[in-house]
Amino acid sequence: MAAGELEGSKPLNGLLNALAQDTFHGHPGITEELLRSQLYPEVPPEEFRPFLAKMRGILKGGGGVGAKDVAGQKVNIWAENQSIASADMDFNQLEAFLTAQTKKQGGITSDQAAVISKFWKSHKTKIRESLMNQSRWNSGLRGLSWRVDGKSQSRHSAQIHTPVAIIELELGKYGQKSEFLCLEFDEVKVNQILKTLSEVEESISTLISQPN
Amino acid sequence: MEESSELPLDAKSEFVDFQWKLGLAVSCDGCRSLKLEGWPYRYVAVMLKVADHSGQVKTKSFEMTVPQFQNFDRRFKEIAAVIETM
Repeated sequence: MAAGELEGSKPLNGLLNALAQDTFHGHPGITEELLRSQLYPEVPPEEFRPFLAKMRGILKGGGGVGAKDVAGQKVNIWAENQSIASADMDFNQLEAFLTAQTKKQGGITSDQAAVISKFWKSHKTKIRESLMNQSRWNSGLRGLSWRVDGKSQSRHSAQIHTPVAIIELELGKYGQKSEFLCLEFDEVKVNQILKTLSEVEESISTLISQPN
Repeated sequence: MEESSELPLDAKSEFVDFQWKLGLAVSCDGCRSLKLEGWPYRYVAVMLKVADHSGQVKTKSFEMTVPQFQNFDRRFKEIAAVIETM
């Protein structure tokens, strides 16, 4: 059976998920053979390859995908590198794009179009966030915990309480282990930071842009 | 209101300074379309100066999204409120 005819939605959904992991979420190393054997075991490799390229092309695009000669046959490159992710289509555009793909020679079936449409709608947000995270090369703030200690000194007379805030910041670069930074702040420093943070807040309000 | 955490005493650094900048990420490799929802997005980049137990000053930098920053701000306000009661 040809890959295109096998359409229960599970294998294709699995494939799209794997492609998304590979392309958007920075988890490379998903091989073609692994995908084929797990999701489309009845499909021979030489048939699976162009099918995979086709799906990758629709999802992510990118120059040259599907352009290689496969066993002497040129795989069809459609839509001039247009793809769902790079064009970031809204839902109407998505439907139109997928419908067009179903009408092309060597395109997709309408069942496949339905699976892709459903997949993209649910993954769009995840993919966007992933792209944001991957493009942040600095550490991100992963967590913050704190406690306040009341350091007290007393010998004979009045106890002197100097409260100290201990803050643990969990920082980490994309794909790397967290590092923990443990900081001590006295009251003066806490207030100093608060003042700075309100300056930042003011800047944020005055910067005109789309909300996150 | 206080949250406890396991903090080894010798790992503490003293906070020295907090520098910041507000950035706007407009595009990136892999997201060519400017229409990607949520882009351009604002972020707060922070440069912390801390002094370790030997007095040596180090810097640590990190980024926060705006919601993360607002949470960060909220936490500090909580801390200030607790300190004030002491």
